[in-house]
Amino acid sequence: MNVAQTTPSIRPVIEFTDVRKNLAGRQILDSLTFDVRQGETFVIIGYSGTGKSVTLRHLVGLMQPDAGSIRVDGEEITTMTPNELEVMRRKFGVLFQSGALIAWLNLFDNVELPLVEHSRVSKKRRAEIVREKLELVNLWNDREKFPSEISGGMRKRAGLARAIALDPRIVLYDEPTSGLDPVIANEIGKLINALRDRLKMTQVVVTHDMESAYDIADRIGMFYQGRMIQVGTPDEIRTSAIPEVQHFISGGKRGAVSKRSVTAILSGRPPGMQSLREEPVAAPQAPTPASPAIEGSNP
Amino acid sequence: MALKLPLVSAVKGAGYTLVLLLEALGMIGHWWRRRAAILTQMHVIGTQSVPITSFFMLLVGMVFALQTGIEFARFGQTNLVALVIVSAMVRELGPWMTAFVLIARVGSSMAAEIGTMKVSEEIDALEVMSVNPVSYVIVPRLAGYLIMGPALTILGTVVGIAGGALVARVQLGVTLDDFLRFAERGAEPLDIYWGLLKAFVFSMLAAAVACSNGMRATAGAVGVGRASRNTVVIALTLTVFFNYLLTSFYRMAKSFIAGLS
Repeated sequence: MNVAQTTPSIRPVIEFTDVRKNLAGRQILDSLTFDVRQGETFVIIGYSGTGKSVTLRHLVGLMQPDAGSIRVDGEEITTMTPNELEVMRRKFGVLFQSGALIAWLNLFDNVELPLVEHSRVSKKRRAEIVREKLELVNLWNDREKFPSEISGGMRKRAGLARAIALDPRIVLYDEPTSGLDPVIANEIGKLINALRDRLKMTQVVVTHDMESAYDIADRIGMFYQGRMIQVGTPDEIRTSAIPEVQHFISGGKRGAVSKRSVTAILSGRPPGMQSLREEPVAAPQAPTPASPAIEGSNP
Repeated sequence: MALKLPLVSAVKGAGYTLVLLLEALGMIGHWWRRRAAILTQMHVIGTQSVPITSFFMLLVGMVFALQTGIEFARFGQTNLVALVIVSAMVRELGPWMTAFVLIARVGSSMAAEIGTMKVSEEIDALEVMSVNPVSYVIVPRLAGYLIMGPALTILGTVVGIAGGALVARVQLGVTLDDFLRFAERGAEPLDIYWGLLKAFVFSMLAAAVACSNGMRATAGAVGVGRASRNTVVIALTLTVFFNYLLTSFYRMAKSFIAGLS
């Protein structure tokens, strides 16, 4: 475990400690431990369908862990009452994978929704805030359009505008660039960086898009088999000695994962609880490349 | 285990539906805040259902008059058609035939709409924005259904009786005066209130089943389809079942009251 050194002066905003979650007999989170510091963009990478989104859902109380502790600003959220959760959630803005805009509201009304529901500001002030957020994501001219009338990238941008409508301190992104062309994906990345640099927001991004991960991350955590197997700066991840990390970031061209998890990945089943270095098929410097090993291990 | 599972999930589903319904009914204080959304739902559920409900009930009334009229004619009592039509429409056909139309037209689409919101994470998004999905999504739909279900039942009953009167006049030779004279004896005020209570109960059942199935939808388009289908099947079943219970109870209560006096 190569967890980056924690500077004591930087207070962690989010702390996961030994979080476990079993869903339908699968151990999705298995002693998941990591923290996110004030003002950083923390990117969680990992194979699809293995529980990265589940991690985000735990963070905003949409799911409860079986065991372990999740703290936000030092407050334990797993034992919160619904009312306390509601207050806690005001700290968060969440951009869901498909934007999750309300279908019967146009973009303006979608961004205004959290303001209408929560803030006691005047209609005029609300309109100013909506304008500011929609201009930030470059959608002010499309404010009258409905979610069904716009592209996926626009939906995500609108979802982002809504997520930050109440000026949250923490923004969570679930696959912000998936399904977007590289140019638009890059624009989303720029927006994420702008929020960190200009508004000092703490951000957690779940993605498997390595290019955007390197662009936006202050630190990257590799999620694998229910836990963080490495947390480090983009450079540390790029030069990682852990075969599973190399395997993931190189798109399977380098490194390797254990036999059983290769089978699990290829068969679409996320790996279970087995220990990481069990039955290594190929070391990173081994003469045999990883791909024959993968084929060989797949019955 | 394999035998038990469907039962377990059915019980869980029923439990969830009941809790959701009670929670939404408990939010009657939110009706004022959600008035715009409630009006929209009243339009979608009510106004837009007027043509199909009218057409459907008109033909139900017509065919019912025709069938009973043929039998009554054998005894030279065609005038009794009015009595049978009115009593059947007010107590039975009006409430549950209208309920059927609404389940097919409104319940299924309501479940699909909420189900789509669920699988596209809109419900989750509301929750993380601390917008209570029950208040924001369920309450307007339940309120709209509870208001418009009985309203459409009144419309359907009246149109159904009119359809019966039309057939009685044109095909059975019963004059409108005769029809109205016998119609008066078909139902007393209590029958009308009871019919409306039925309509209210059926509306509540259908809305609760639709919302609950929508909120429990999983697994994309397939799940939305399943939610919609389950809504129609379960709501129809519950409607005929509760209708029988309510009718039995009403008859028992009536004969009990008659026994007292």
